[in-house]
Amino acid sequence: MNFLSLTGIELQKIRRSKILLILLAPVVIMWLPAIINSERIQDVQGIPITPEHNFFIQGFMGMVWFMIPATLIICTVLLIQIEQTNHGMKKMLTLPINRGKLCLAKFTVLLLLPAVQMVMSAAAYYGSAFLSSKLHGYDYVLPPGYIFPCIGKFYLAALPAAAVFWMIALLIQTPVFAVGTGLALCVPSVLMINTDYWLLHPMSYPFYVLMTEYGKAAKGLYAAEIDWFPWLPVAVMITVVCLTVSCVRMSRYAE
Amino acid sequence: MNIIETKNLTKAYGDFTAVSNLNLHIRKGSVYGFLGPNGAGKSTTMKMFLGLTRPTDGAFHINKKRFPQNRVEILKEIGSFIETPAFYGNLTGTENLELIRKILGLPKDSVDDALELTGLQEFKNRLAKRYSLGMKQRLGLAGALIGRPPILFLDEPTNGLDPVGIHEIRTMIKSLPGKYDCTVLVSSHLLPEIELMADDIGILNHGHLLFEGTLDDLKFHAHDMGMPDDNLEETFLAMIDADNQKRRDRR
Amino acid sequence: MSFGMELKKFRRTGYFPAFPAGAAAASAFPILNMAVRTEVYTGLPGNPLDILLDASWQMMAMLNILLIVCGTCMMYHTEYAENGIQKMEVLPVRQISLFLRKFLISAIMAALVILIEFSAFTFCILWWFPHTGIDFKELLSHWGFELVVLLPTIMVSLIIASACRNIWISLGIGVILVFTLSVLPKDYLFLDLCPYCSPYQLLTTAEQNGHAALFLGVCIGETTLAGIAEHIYLKIRRYFS
Repeated sequence: MNFLSLTGIELQKIRRSKILLILLAPVVIMWLPAIINSERIQDVQGIPITPEHNFFIQGFMGMVWFMIPATLIICTVLLIQIEQTNHGMKKMLTLPINRGKLCLAKFTVLLLLPAVQMVMSAAAYYGSAFLSSKLHGYDYVLPPGYIFPCIGKFYLAALPAAAVFWMIALLIQTPVFAVGTGLALCVPSVLMINTDYWLLHPMSYPFYVLMTEYGKAAKGLYAAEIDWFPWLPVAVMITVVCLTVSCVRMSRYAE
Repeated sequence: MNIIETKNLTKAYGDFTAVSNLNLHIRKGSVYGFLGPNGAGKSTTMKMFLGLTRPTDGAFHINKKRFPQNRVEILKEIGSFIETPAFYGNLTGTENLELIRKILGLPKDSVDDALELTGLQEFKNRLAKRYSLGMKQRLGLAGALIGRPPILFLDEPTNGLDPVGIHEIRTMIKSLPGKYDCTVLVSSHLLPEIELMADDIGILNHGHLLFEGTLDDLKFHAHDMGMPDDNLEETFLAMIDADNQKRRDRR
Repeated sequence: MSFGMELKKFRRTGYFPAFPAGAAAASAFPILNMAVRTEVYTGLPGNPLDILLDASWQMMAMLNILLIVCGTCMMYHTEYAENGIQKMEVLPVRQISLFLRKFLISAIMAALVILIEFSAFTFCILWWFPHTGIDFKELLSHWGFELVVLLPTIMVSLIIASACRNIWISLGIGVILVFTLSVLPKDYLFLDLCPYCSPYQLLTTAEQNGHAALFLGVCIGETTLAGIAEHIYLKIRRYFS
């Protein structure tokens, strides 16, 4: 069975799982207060940033710091739970599929879910920016040519963290502890980003990308360019190691 | 000709040996009744056949193929139902079987065939989590029977079924080798059921194979040993009791 | 059924090791922070404990809240997963007693967690501020304050966990509450007094603002009121089930 068909099967398994609601909830939670706070956003507190950029950056800050990682954690555990609740995984393991491929197909589904959430976030951003503009008579809406690449970068930066959470969900059998460990790992992002060790903390990556966008929007405040080296090789290495461990774990799943 | 053979197959979990030096011989096209009290090692043996757990020692071959080298090829030929029905509760009966059909690369009508065989047609569009215990059991069986595989492993297939369901499943299992030349390895606590459907039986206790052969062989064996031979249930109980007594004496 | 029996329910669930493990992870913050930025903090004027709390408590408090949320969800999941709660309901034991015992266990675990974290602060003071003596009375009052301001969060988390059969719903609500409340503006006193917000409060800050007694009183009041609400809820639930 080829990888695409297997991914299709994995996607079919999440039907009626209400996962879209889980993806939507954080988006609403993040962007509703943004409308309420939009008047305060005008006060940039001496930072050389335009209110519309401030609106976008502040709105996405909670998203990249916590909501994207938290969504990834919930999605990993949900994918595992779907398999465990009625022993679906046991059936899958008795079918002629390569277990490594199965693991990667599931991971692909995991990556598709935050992609959907990013689309929702973009829509929510435009909705709340439009409403805030109407409320305060100031145009908060930024052009799609700026917004979509930014959101795309946040998404790509979250992929190594997805691999880490996927590994944790497979290694820690008790789901509540898998979630707890994942959430606990997200908390120090704000601290890590201010140290030289952020490279080793994949949950900080989307936050780092956001800060570089902040740097671009508020000149001189933060580094405006992404420092690709050694970030990229480290990120790739972390992703590969976590996926390898996940595949090995999946191959021994039933033992 | 034996389609499945094991040689000194052993599985230990720490100090506890679940299966010990098991030598099974399952004839092609037969229904093999696998008997034993709870924890005797029946499910563990089947799990080893399916690659769900690794043997600690020994080996086995299924249709001349070996684990782990030919894992995928072996699994293509086996339909299995182990311990409890395995399914996705958020999917309907049909959707559950569709997943398996796609993975096995079977024709589309195989889903309806499996639903028909297990009497689930009427409920095929209901979510599996809303199935009754018996319907879940049937769905598990449908997942094993889909595509009419040449080898079937059925672990307690009649658990949770009402007497009518038990009768239906028994009749179906008994008819399978005749219908499409399949080999069935079936375990059950319902000894009269096994007596009615099995060609050969293997009796397992504490991971050890106490007997293997036809039902007639068992009667002779029981008679020789001075055990009751009127029906399988009495013979089985006497055999297990004698083995347990021997173990107690050894201690 | 005794308190000891209630404790036994959570054996081998990972509940008990999770708390010291979580506390150890939280305790690593001040130690690592001090190790990495020694000069920044040792050069600051003021009381070392305040310096340490200022630098790390926000993050540690968030970890503590997450630990509480996971722990309370785990407690009720143990009851709901294999229908143990159904057995409890047909035994001659009051539902509210079971709930309060769970609250007591959670509070004891929280006290232990904060104790471990304050041990880490003590270690930091001894290691990086060797000329400052350890004021045990001060440590104890900070420990007690942080425990009291955590109580409403424990109570509310436990209520949510008791109301939801599905652990994912209670966990989801808990996580959403933790993060939504953590990103809200910090300019309003009434928000600071809410469950899930009050654990971030430091005794020193509360004292400086003259709110220490207010925090203690409101938190104890919130805990009591939430407990009474749970009692009423359990009665109503029993009536309708």
